[in-house]
Amino acid sequence: MMQDGQREEALGKTYDIALLRRLWRYVRPYRGQFLLAVICLPLTSAFLLAQPYILKLAVDNYIAHNDAAGLTKAGLMFVGALVGEFIFFYLQYQATMTVAQHSLSDLRVDLFNHLQALPASFFDRNPVGRLVTRLTTDVDAINEAFTAGTLTIFMDVLTLVGIVVIMLTIDVKLTLTTLALLPPLLVAMNFFRVRSRDTYRAIRERLARINAFLQETLSGIAVVQLFAQEKKLFAEFDERNREFRDANHLSNIYEATLFSLVEAVGSISIALMLWYGAVQIGTGVVALGTLVAFVEYLQKFFVPIREFGTKYTTMQSAITAVERVFQLLDTPVTIASPSLTREPEQVRGHIVFDHVWFAYKGDEWILRDVSFTLEPGQKVALVGATGAGKSTISKLLNRFADVQHGRILIDGVDVRDWDLRTLRRQIGIVLQDVFLFAGDVATNITLGRSDITQADLERAASYVNANRFISQLPRGYQEPIRERGSNLSGGQRQLLSFARALAYNPTILVLDEATSSVDPETELLIQDAMNKLMAGRTTIVIAHRFSTIQHADCIIVLHKGQVREIGTHQELIERQGIYWRLYQLQYGTPSLSVGSQFAEVGD
Amino acid sequence: MHRLWGYIVYYRARYMRGILCLIVSATLAMSIPLLLKWTIEAIQHQRPFREVMWHVVAIIGIACVQGVVRSFSRFMIFNVGRDIEYQLRNDLFAHLQKLSLGYYQRQAIGDLMSRLVNDVTAVRLLLGLGILNLLNTPLYYIYAGSAMVMMDPQLTLAALATYPLMFLFVKRMSRQMMEKTLKVQEGLADLSTRVQESVSGMHVVRAYVREDWQAAEFGRRNDTFREESMSLARVRGLFPPLMKAVSGLGLLVVLWYGGSHVIAGRLSLGDLVAFMGYLHLLAWPTMALGWLISIVQRGKAALKRLESIFQTQPEIVDGQGDGLARQIHGEIHFQDVDFGYRAHVNGHLVLRDINLTIPAGTTVAVVGRMGSGKSTLVQLLPRLFDVQNGTITIDGQDIRTCSLAALRHWVGFVPQDPFLFSTRIKENIAFSLPAVDMERVRWAARVAHLDQDIADFPRGYDTVVGERGITLSGGQKQRMTLARALLADPPILVLDDALSSVDAQTERQILRGLREATHEKTVVVISHRIAAVRDADMIVVLDEGRIVETGTHTQLVERGGIYAEIFQQQALEEELAEL
Repeated sequence: MMQDGQREEALGKTYDIALLRRLWRYVRPYRGQFLLAVICLPLTSAFLLAQPYILKLAVDNYIAHNDAAGLTKAGLMFVGALVGEFIFFYLQYQATMTVAQHSLSDLRVDLFNHLQALPASFFDRNPVGRLVTRLTTDVDAINEAFTAGTLTIFMDVLTLVGIVVIMLTIDVKLTLTTLALLPPLLVAMNFFRVRSRDTYRAIRERLARINAFLQETLSGIAVVQLFAQEKKLFAEFDERNREFRDANHLSNIYEATLFSLVEAVGSISIALMLWYGAVQIGTGVVALGTLVAFVEYLQKFFVPIREFGTKYTTMQSAITAVERVFQLLDTPVTIASPSLTREPEQVRGHIVFDHVWFAYKGDEWILRDVSFTLEPGQKVALVGATGAGKSTISKLLNRFADVQHGRILIDGVDVRDWDLRTLRRQIGIVLQDVFLFAGDVATNITLGRSDITQADLERAASYVNANRFISQLPRGYQEPIRERGSNLSGGQRQLLSFARALAYNPTILVLDEATSSVDPETELLIQDAMNKLMAGRTTIVIAHRFSTIQHADCIIVLHKGQVREIGTHQELIERQGIYWRLYQLQYGTPSLSVGSQFAEVGD
Repeated sequence: MHRLWGYIVYYRARYMRGILCLIVSATLAMSIPLLLKWTIEAIQHQRPFREVMWHVVAIIGIACVQGVVRSFSRFMIFNVGRDIEYQLRNDLFAHLQKLSLGYYQRQAIGDLMSRLVNDVTAVRLLLGLGILNLLNTPLYYIYAGSAMVMMDPQLTLAALATYPLMFLFVKRMSRQMMEKTLKVQEGLADLSTRVQESVSGMHVVRAYVREDWQAAEFGRRNDTFREESMSLARVRGLFPPLMKAVSGLGLLVVLWYGGSHVIAGRLSLGDLVAFMGYLHLLAWPTMALGWLISIVQRGKAALKRLESIFQTQPEIVDGQGDGLARQIHGEIHFQDVDFGYRAHVNGHLVLRDINLTIPAGTTVAVVGRMGSGKSTLVQLLPRLFDVQNGTITIDGQDIRTCSLAALRHWVGFVPQDPFLFSTRIKENIAFSLPAVDMERVRWAARVAHLDQDIADFPRGYDTVVGERGITLSGGQKQRMTLARALLADPPILVLDDALSSVDAQTERQILRGLREATHEKTVVVISHRIAAVRDADMIVVLDEGRIVETGTHTQLVERGGIYAEIFQQQALEEELAEL
């Protein structure tokens, strides 16, 4: 843990300046407010520092001389100082918060947009939870630094220096006597700072351990109960819980000691001052008002000192958070539109895979030397076992990933030369696992596109047979989708995704046929909808149903990343190869009519 | 509140010690302004230097003692708060472990987590900071108030006039702040959900080029969050300057009004300084009193929510039957069993009229289409759910009359969804043992055809599940859960389509190996692949919650019913996959 701490500190020092400069880019648009805050800081301090001095004046110049009018003047000055401190502090705080909230909000937007541009492979490596943490918890840690500190640390330093300077101006020797305990106090505080930073870190780690344990155990409660291991798990939980408590006990002791220490030193300093003052007043050098002012200054002196430890810790975690956030922003976007885009004059849907090789890593080829051509409007069925590379074909087509060798042409233009957005607009993808967003049915069809009217929407939905179930929902198109679409059946989700694809009217369609079984009636609706959807579009179907395969213009049999056979149903039958054998099987079982499938049947 | 009293009473001795320290500390603290007053008066009246010296020494002495006593009072009371927090968390966890699966299907884990984290914290604040200030503030007021009144009653009233204001103000503001803080937290949670959804649905967003839409949706929530944060900042920012202003006003009154009293000769300068000292001492406790109100309110609300967890009774509880000692043979009998989930309000039954006898030591396969009720049927065996009508017996004993621990030692259940803990592989497999026994772990891994996979991991059995870089495939996870169940050595083993992600050939090999390794066990296996279970002693076919066919593979294929149909379909699938 100590090592970590040192590493963290070393990292912090090296990158601090660079990080601040980057952070400044977010602050820059709000530099007016920032400037305001910076100006308000010394002013707040000044008004704060004036108050004890006014007390001194009041005591020495007016009360001591029985000057009631003068006392009133001093009183008014005091009011002025209070009001001034109030106003400038508030202005400073508001300005700081405005800068912080706005620049951090901009930072979050940048992070979000960057996430959207990152390649799919990035998301395979980084769990969703971690990314969410970057955008929320980490940015919030930076916010915390603004709220609880940064600028006020400068103000604290200003105040401390100011107090010492004023005290010195009033009386050098008195000041030195009064602050005699400061050096040992600072040493003691540094001791506690290191200790409490470590315990604080331990507390955070142990709390995270408790929470992770709870999350996991509650998620797997069935396993715990099935193996009757409640006692064992309880013992493990108790251990974590106890560790957390012990760290907190320690931290409480440190904090209580530090708190009391600072208070005690404050009182002792006043005593020392009185002792010295008593000697001097006897000789007439120090006035009583000075003592009063010093008491007040001391009160103000020890407040920021007490709070410094907490602020320091907050700053530390903010710096770590900034680092992590920028690291995410620095992740390169590997798939983007080229600077010079090229597009065909007319998009017709002609697709060529030209000796395509693809691997996610190294030379573990998912596709080897895949070549085929699709004429506009042609329907092709991809057939092959799991892992044959069927779904990779669709990923390469719309550049979720780029090929290693060879090229893919759409209407004669390499997909890597297309403008990325234009390219993806040509291709509609319907996956078997339908993803639904929070929102209503309509939003899930239009995906928030406002140029799709309600009429378009309903036309699309009824064309693909989705209208019927949607209109039966209590609120129709406005029916909210529950988490992960749990209020819709699998078949309904399929139909919804067909409506979505149709509403976008793509030239090219990639359809990953669902393997899960639905009731026969819905099955018919889906078959019908698929046929309508494919009409007039170049379509690649990752097929699981024989009926779909038989109706395709062309069948591509993929095996272990290679194209083994291409042809129409008739051609492949005549060729008596792999497909022919499949067909033989199919022919021998009359029960496999429309509606049945040869994928899994099971729960 | 009742539960809370239990904890407080339990720790009463330590609370009392802390409170004693608190009283001593407050008494000492309050004597310091008085000593200040005497010192200044001594200086003013040019008393002998020795007298001043004594006062100074007294202040130093008291400050030191008070520092020590005060730190004791603080951490003693705060530590009791932490102790109770620990106890409360343990009690909650123990209770949650008892609740049945049905509860967890209704309750989102995220909500539970937030209770366990936030509500427990709120209760702890109430018990630590809350109790400290609840006692500290009145103490300070009694001491300081009486000292001030003795010096100058009028000035006391005037100087403290602003303090009720401060109290009311803090009370109001802290309530507002709590509300706004809650809103900001919700906003942050909303942002999290949004990002989570966007990342999960990224493929759709990209395929349809809807990044702008997502950005706009995110931007909208981001803006709301920013505005809520700003609104919180506006209240929060008022706090420190207003506090200073209010205590400053008290000081002003002392200066002005008190000053005029000094001029009039009714008050000494020493009194004036002492007044200022007392005002300083009262500022923080007054502020804390304002906070206290919301701490108490929040703590009470949190306690109520926690209490509702404690009040939830487990639906499935121990029967008054045999303990672990009894050896069983493993004969299972279903008698007129009906079952429906509670969520299906319309009384839809998932299983109807199930009558089935599974002789001890046999392997029985349950097959059927999706939604036919196979999983539900086997989930009734370890009492993950209880039957609605009818009875299930093991060796003739109704399973509802056994203790849950005993029943679950008898029935080893391997679920379809492989759940593993993020511990080492060996610890996952040896989950049912108090300590890892490598010999048995290796045996179980071998039977589950997992030993080869584990050997390929750089750290073998010490590999931590879910650690970065090592991702287990679905099939590996499933085989690991099988190994875990095997190691527990139950007389009855239930596989709820537990090898669905394993390839067909391996599944078949595992099931074959299982028969040798478990020849005396009763095995109930569900598989979506019929070929894998064709060797079973008996095959039960379910359709729409009823048993429609039973028999051996050969009998059922000959019969030409549902089983034969599914079998044919799957034969095709397998052939296609092998081409």
